[in-house]
Amino acid sequence: MKDEREIVTVTIDGIEMQAPKGELLIRVAQDNGTFVPRFCWHERMKPVGMCRMCLVEVEGVRGMPPACTTTVTDGMVVNTKSETVKKAQDGVLEFLLINHPLDCPVCDRGGECPLQDQTLAFGPGESRYVEEKRHFEKPIPISELVLLDRERCIQCSRCTRFADEIAGDRLIDFGERGGEMQVITYPDDPFTSYFSGNTVQVCPVGALTAKPYRFRARPWDLSAVETSCQTCSVGCRGSLESSSNELVRLLGVDVEPVNHGWLCDKGRFGYEATHAEDRARNPMIRRDGSLVECSWPEALDAAAEGIKRSLDLHGPASIAMVGGSRGTNEDAYLWARLAKGVIGTDNVDAQIGDGLPAEVVLGLPGATIPDLDEAAAIILLGPDLKEELPVLYLRVRRACVDLGVPILDVSAVDHGLSKYASATIRHLPGEQASAAREISAALAPLIDGRSGPIVVVLGRSDVATSAEPTVAAAAIIREIPNTRFLVALRRGNVRGAIDLGLAPGFLPGRVTLDAGAERFVAAWGSAPAEVGLDTAGIFNAASEGRIGALILVGADIVNDFPDRRLVRAGVGGAGFVICINATVTEAAADADVFLPATVWGEKAGTTTNLEGRISRVGRKIAAVGNPMPDFRIASELALRLGTDFDLETVEEIQDEIARVAPAFAEVDAQLLKRARDGVVLPLALHRDELVLEPRRIPVIDFSWEPIKPEGPGEFEVVEFEVVEPVLEADASDEAAAEEESALPVDISNGAGLPDAQLFVWSAQHAAQPTPGRDNYALRLSAGRSLYDNGRTVASTPALRALIPAQTLRVNPSEISRVGVADGESVRVSTARGSLVLSLTGDANVPAGVAVMPFNIGETGVGDLVDVSLVVTDLRLETLR
Amino acid sequence: MARFSGFGVTFKQMFKPRITGFYPKEKREKPERFHGRHVLNRYEDGMEKCIGCELCAGVCPAKCIYVRGADNSPDSPVSPGERFGFVYEINYLRCIHCDMCVEACPTEAITETKLFEFSFANRADAIYTKEELLVDDEGRAKRQPWELWLGGEDDKTSAWMRATSSSGDADYEGRVNWSGELGFGVREPEQGQSL
Amino acid sequence: MTSVIGAPNATETRIVTKRLRDRPEDSWTLDGFTQSGGYEAFRAALKLDPEAIGAEQVAAAGLRGRGGAGFPTGTKWSFLPKDSYPRYLVVNGDEGEPSTFKDRMLIENDPHQLIEGIAISSYAIGCNLAFIYVRGEFALGFERLEAARRDAHAAGFLGANILGSGFDLDIVIHRAAGAYICGEETALLSSLEGDRGMPRIRPPFPAVAGLYAKPTIVNNVETLSTVPHIMRMGGAEYAKLGVNKSTGTRIFSLSGHVNRPGNYEVELGITFRDLIESPELGGGVRNGGKVKFFIPGGASSQWLTGSDEHLDAPLDMDYVQQTFGVMLGSGAVMVYDETTNPALVAWRLAKFFAHESCGKCTPCREGTGWIEKVLYRISHGYGRPQDLDLLLDVGDNISPGLNAPFSQTTICPLGPSAVSPVVSLHKFFREEVIAMCQNNDRALDVTASDSGASDLGAGE
Repeated sequence: MKDEREIVTVTIDGIEMQAPKGELLIRVAQDNGTFVPRFCWHERMKPVGMCRMCLVEVEGVRGMPPACTTTVTDGMVVNTKSETVKKAQDGVLEFLLINHPLDCPVCDRGGECPLQDQTLAFGPGESRYVEEKRHFEKPIPISELVLLDRERCIQCSRCTRFADEIAGDRLIDFGERGGEMQVITYPDDPFTSYFSGNTVQVCPVGALTAKPYRFRARPWDLSAVETSCQTCSVGCRGSLESSSNELVRLLGVDVEPVNHGWLCDKGRFGYEATHAEDRARNPMIRRDGSLVECSWPEALDAAAEGIKRSLDLHGPASIAMVGGSRGTNEDAYLWARLAKGVIGTDNVDAQIGDGLPAEVVLGLPGATIPDLDEAAAIILLGPDLKEELPVLYLRVRRACVDLGVPILDVSAVDHGLSKYASATIRHLPGEQASAAREISAALAPLIDGRSGPIVVVLGRSDVATSAEPTVAAAAIIREIPNTRFLVALRRGNVRGAIDLGLAPGFLPGRVTLDAGAERFVAAWGSAPAEVGLDTAGIFNAASEGRIGALILVGADIVNDFPDRRLVRAGVGGAGFVICINATVTEAAADADVFLPATVWGEKAGTTTNLEGRISRVGRKIAAVGNPMPDFRIASELALRLGTDFDLETVEEIQDEIARVAPAFAEVDAQLLKRARDGVVLPLALHRDELVLEPRRIPVIDFSWEPIKPEGPGEFEVVEFEVVEPVLEADASDEAAAEEESALPVDISNGAGLPDAQLFVWSAQHAAQPTPGRDNYALRLSAGRSLYDNGRTVASTPALRALIPAQTLRVNPSEISRVGVADGESVRVSTARGSLVLSLTGDANVPAGVAVMPFNIGETGVGDLVDVSLVVTDLRLETLR
Repeated sequence: MARFSGFGVTFKQMFKPRITGFYPKEKREKPERFHGRHVLNRYEDGMEKCIGCELCAGVCPAKCIYVRGADNSPDSPVSPGERFGFVYEINYLRCIHCDMCVEACPTEAITETKLFEFSFANRADAIYTKEELLVDDEGRAKRQPWELWLGGEDDKTSAWMRATSSSGDADYEGRVNWSGELGFGVREPEQGQSL
Repeated sequence: MTSVIGAPNATETRIVTKRLRDRPEDSWTLDGFTQSGGYEAFRAALKLDPEAIGAEQVAAAGLRGRGGAGFPTGTKWSFLPKDSYPRYLVVNGDEGEPSTFKDRMLIENDPHQLIEGIAISSYAIGCNLAFIYVRGEFALGFERLEAARRDAHAAGFLGANILGSGFDLDIVIHRAAGAYICGEETALLSSLEGDRGMPRIRPPFPAVAGLYAKPTIVNNVETLSTVPHIMRMGGAEYAKLGVNKSTGTRIFSLSGHVNRPGNYEVELGITFRDLIESPELGGGVRNGGKVKFFIPGGASSQWLTGSDEHLDAPLDMDYVQQTFGVMLGSGAVMVYDETTNPALVAWRLAKFFAHESCGKCTPCREGTGWIEKVLYRISHGYGRPQDLDLLLDVGDNISPGLNAPFSQTTICPLGPSAVSPVVSLHKFFREEVIAMCQNNDRALDVTASDSGASDLGAGE
């Protein structure tokens, strides 16, 4: 956002500095190298001036105003180091410490504690307090994940303000007053926020501690690497920290275009899954009907043999690859190259039946997350962001609440952002297209002269409805002028996988088979000729015996695919199954070869978030046992199939991607290393968003920031030579050299892009009509819950307990219509199957709709959905 | 004469008192602040003093200490407070007996004894675990098979000495402000440090 | 009405309290009110230009806030930004300072006078919705205020198009929940909005962004109750009462070791000696004793002693401020005779402030508690000789310079208020306190006043 404020001159401690008028004094001072001590002030929250630590002297102002609530004016003269200020700082710190228990040796914050650091730097050194300190019961749980030690609390209100201002879950607040003031939860209403972990990170003392990290390590034995979270596709930046080769925590890093330093609890604590007991340590092959551990060469030879046999007997179209949306871009690229360049099949799909077709993902004009802040309006037509992409929810909420961007909510049922919507269009699941036709009219009053793009958050709101209605709706919304789309896919690197060709009909770099054939034949030696099958198609083909070798890359396919019966038939029907995974999932148990893979935190690379922003993922620990990174497995398989990729390192792969994949032009290893906030693809359109300076580390090495200058890893603390954002073209890199002249370019006609044209969706989509709902049926809406049976949650002890109970929520009128009591079990039948489920009344669910989260419980939505149908209608029967 | 002058030194020494000690049967008195192998002390009620804070590991210049903390169960706490040392290991192949760990310890849990004769034959023996370092129910160091102690040496296992307050203020000389130890009670302060 | 010519009389000058003294049997009813000239000033005001009321009457009268700070009311009104509506008038009826009990009397016994004041003031500042934030413990006051509001509504003094003037006004009466801090105007506004009663950072000042972020004027009950009389008498005439810039009359809540404790409305300018010793007012110290010290302006004020210099000081806000560094504050005068242990008084006052600190600012939250604990030790025989200096330095960290008016490291003046007793101990009773600490003397309880007068004081 352009800062258009007047520039004024301020003198702080005798140094003149320029600052925008109205900026907070504390920020101006910090940006210019003067650290004013503070506790309550936080960069991303409104100032309250409670802790009184940042008092400064301003000439001409009586008393000492706090720097965090004072705005700068022209000619202001500020003194932050005078004797008076020093005495006030001494005083405040002495006051803060009189009731502080000083149990630093057992406190998780000890060693990286702002109170410790600032006491050392600004405090009096000794206390004159001889009275008894305040006592409370030592840590009390305020949620499943967070413990509160009220003795340590310095009442800065950062946590309560976070919960209220940022997360919108005002579930903690202050109780009592004066010296007894303490953070409380409401009676019988625990702090069940999805963002509770952030309160631990913003706490300036050890009052709030996270259960998973508690006592696991001390700050001085941590080492950290900056990384991007891959739990969902928002790609929040974080600092991943380990102690003794064990991941112990992930802290949010403040990145303006993405996460503002926040993380959701699933992302924050999901690292525990890395250390799950059931991680596969060694490769396995099937001998005498059961999987037995073996050596890597044995397993790889067996896998290559299986592929080769099918290739020889039935040709490349008999081989299929499913998954690959959890790895890095480098993994995805080499899987794509293995499948499309070496094997020659196009039956490749990284999405497992719960996303949108690649042509929609790649072909719509893209929005970035910061576009939300400046949008004229935001249209929500997709998943419940709070449940699926929680940090994106925070951004949309902020855009609405703090920046006044109106929201148009197009949804089947109430979701996390419904209460912020200025207008709502409700539709039956599957009727997205007809709802989309009403959008234009509903939008006009909301925009009301506001400028900026209209950002559409588009996605599959549930897995019980096929992608077609959403695609049809997108085709309609696309016609509204000035719309940009943020395609809300869920899995960590699904966007990167699609960008790199793990989708039928596409080659790496957002080009279709036709457009890219020539280029990739030149680069790889061959490319598939015919468009292949998507995941549902692959399983259909496999169940009919037409797939000779099935390669499953990651994913717990049986539970993640919406139609369990089809997956089981497909995996069972495939001739030879190779499974690459971190754990032996249900499908893996049936595999012929199992190859253990490393996971996030154990491998370096890059990931692409839902905007198309590529950022680096760091390797923090060495995997236990013998798993290999996916890209190496792919290389090894390719080698055994006769192609030597000759790519040893992640950087070499990145350079090859930049050279080969059109949308990745110029985005080579060197740029990725330097681009602080990542690179948004295609670079030609987002060149001005590149930031090549290293991340600012506060002047004084206070422990505020999760990034510590002294920490090993990838933090660049050395002064970079700041390079102009226009990059020098590598002489050997023809593609980049050609693009150099075009800046920015309009990709819609392919101008300025090298020989291959980036794909643009024509939206000539003949949607399968959505059948009507008969009056006796309920239409199923199966969205997701943040905590589900997915691997991240199921393997994380801290989160497992948070998985909600399985229940079918319907409008209370339906309950009375069926004639059962609330909570009673009923038989639920669809065209696919039937289950016994408990029925809960919920007035927020419209009549005619039934809501059940996907992937919860032993049996569930996956047993009710038939992916060949557009919608899932169900009937209820009493058991009596 | 020259041949006798060669024995001069020999004869001179023959009549001097003998100073060779019969080590290890006889041992010299060790200085008050001798830095020997460590013990993990316990309070007089038997609770462990170590709270697993890892300050010793943090300060150790040889990086020979490995500590992991864990939650004390409220029903059967190992140490007073929330946290206890769950793992405590010192690698004596690395330890330089600088005593920085003793200085750093906020609870006087780790102290150095005057025992120094341990000749292990393998790496595993060199890494003393918490079980080995922790004093026994009498407050005495636990003797390992490869350690050479003679009678009474373990009386000196507790070696916590401090003459002045932690701030070094001479006004505190002679004033005890540390806790008692299992088997030894509250130790007397060392005198004369501030002089 | 008593004569106002010449030097102020050492007697009551009843203006605001006239009705409730004259007709104790029905002063709070609409009939009692209208029969004694009520709402006439409002009728007259409605015919005037609203702006003129503030500028020509209230400002000319030199009316200063009666809540404690003594800020000129007319000036406060003039801070409202032009053309910014809606704007609100909030009446601060959260009288919670120990020994202050004048607003309670006004609310309970003359609620219509307050409503008339609100109505005139609202008309003057262009407000159509006024809020009365009344202390929760005033059960009777709330009841009578609510009844008065209802009656005034029924009689057409409130509501839409009042008396055909086109002016609309509604009043919301909000019962507070018993926090002293909510008497601070920004905390009061937060509390009124439904949040925790915690002071807000200024700027923005309430006159610019107050209640619901709209321009808001917060006035004390007594201030507003005075407004109808200013209208009736004329601002210039009212200004002739009192001395210097302390114009008019004020109600002093006299308590402690005097023979006749109670509320006395006196013309500003009489001396403390007059107030304490005049047979019509305080009636002298109990048992014929002498004043050891007295608190001139509510619990948050610094103290004065029984010396002639202090006793003969006039009740003039600026004079006592400039001469002795104390304030008349909320007009509560607490008198202590020579049997009193000042350390115990200081502890009791500090305990109040420690209990009532809202907890927002660190120096107040922690500092008031610390002061309270040390004063407890001193007054209960566990003091150390260095404790008084410790207290002074702790106080200096809350209120740098230890002066009045307070400079403060906190948002609101509650923290510095707790320092006042400490400073007073140091100024006047240093030797006594240090001797106590050295001898480990334990203070005896302060015995209650034995004069038995009701809080309405004289006249009964």
